[in-house]
Amino acid sequence: MSMLPYAVAAWLFGIGLYGIATSRNFIHLVGCLGICQSATYVLLLGLGYRWGSIAPIFYDHPPGTPAVDPVMQALVLTDIVVGATLTALLLVLTIQAYKRGGSLDPEILRPMRPGGQPDRGASRADDGERTAP
Amino acid sequence: MTVILPLLFLLAAGSGTAVVLIRDPARQIFAIAVNGLVLAILFDALQAPDVALSELAVGSAAVPLLFLVALMAVRNQPPEEKS
Repeated sequence: MSMLPYAVAAWLFGIGLYGIATSRNFIHLVGCLGICQSATYVLLLGLGYRWGSIAPIFYDHPPGTPAVDPVMQALVLTDIVVGATLTALLLVLTIQAYKRGGSLDPEILRPMRPGGQPDRGASRADDGERTAP
Repeated sequence: MTVILPLLFLLAAGSGTAVVLIRDPARQIFAIAVNGLVLAILFDALQAPDVALSELAVGSAAVPLLFLVALMAVRNQPPEEKS
């Protein structure tokens, strides 16, 4: 049991990195980044947990009762809020990349093309004038 | 109690793997919601009820709705050129 939270956190981080590296869709990539963040939740709460302890709320327990670490819980709470904000920001950037680049595949967008030519596919909206249909 | 905690850890690892391996974003949203629910139950079992409440609100409701809105915006708006 003592090694299981660390093993689960390492597994979640590794599988999230695998998903980011092999993803062909930006929305799927943002979901994989959320999995990488959930590894940090599991790691922090696994660090602060003690067997047989109560939650750090002393309303109906006498002071001095063994409790789990409340500092880690505050860190995880901050982490969750920051993660939601980061997800929203990255999804907005994804929509803007789709509007300008015309695709959600990171391999098709311009920085990943060989040489970075602006043509060869004509899937960009703002380079030069286009031929009128 | 000594059985349910490792079970919840393994369930969290499995649902995270499912989120990565489901490649279609419209189906991945459901996996993200299930992963948020499993993480909320795990945090409650780890004696962190406030974190569990926050994860239930954010990870199981708000973030899948954000993904749904982004997918809807991408589908409703064709790109500005023929590609």
